[in-house]
Amino acid sequence: MPFDLPQISIPIGVLLFVFAAYMVFYVLYSLFNIYHLIRYGVYGFGLYVLVTVFTGGTIILVSASIFFLMEYDWTLPISFQNTADFYNNDLFPRL
Amino acid sequence: MMRLDHLPNQRPDEHVILFLRRQWFALLTIATAVILLNGVPILLGWFYLDQTQTLFSRPIIGPALAIVASMYFLSIWLFAFLEVTDYYLDTWIVTNERIINIEQEGLFNRTASELDLAAVQDVTAEIRGFLQTVFTYGNVFVQTAGERERFHFKNIDNPEQVKEKINALVEEDKRRLSAMGAGGRGKIKSVIK
Repeated sequence: MPFDLPQISIPIGVLLFVFAAYMVFYVLYSLFNIYHLIRYGVYGFGLYVLVTVFTGGTIILVSASIFFLMEYDWTLPISFQNTADFYNNDLFPRL
Repeated sequence: MMRLDHLPNQRPDEHVILFLRRQWFALLTIATAVILLNGVPILLGWFYLDQTQTLFSRPIIGPALAIVASMYFLSIWLFAFLEVTDYYLDTWIVTNERIINIEQEGLFNRTASELDLAAVQDVTAEIRGFLQTVFTYGNVFVQTAGERERFHFKNIDNPEQVKEKINALVEEDKRRLSAMGAGGRGKIKSVIK
């Protein structure tokens, strides 16, 4: 079967892998930072406020992001049809 | 977790006189940066509402932009938290016997050092520029006897008062040591990196 670029179908859901990788980095970095605060911070009310505000803010932001992203249909395929035409006709015209 | 009533290597009659952090102006700088970084794209999106809605509703560009926007706002929140942590963990503790300097540099570098008050040779307060003069904050440098190292209290509140207080404590400590017959004690005790 000959290779045909327009027939390739990749769902836009692959973009969610980028977001997931970022979230792993975000969670690890945040946990490490919270550990630092608890390990080396000075015992007191301020420390608890700081950790609580950051954790609360993160929960709100992540929830908002998830609700925002859920509105999209991630099964739609990324179309290469126009891309192929663009390359064929404009950049590499037929001889 | 460190407790001010139970310092590392605390001596029998030692107690905390001054507990210092950078002045609130440092927090204001972080808050301003966060407001600008969040506010500018939100205002632009609101100002060009039709174009923004069109862009976000396009089949492929829309979801990609939504992911980029989510990552952008989460990154600002994380950045703000890192900066506040840096502010929170940078502390200078002056007790009736020594000065403890704890500095956080980024997330992976931390320096903790201490020196006896008897080793202090010179204390300098520095207020430079318009903002430091108006909001009365600045730097205090503590120079030790016979050592090149010096402690630097960065952007603390009322540096002149802190300098006076440290000078008074140094004199008091020297008198106490003379009375005990234990002159010559001093120098920077430890540096942990």
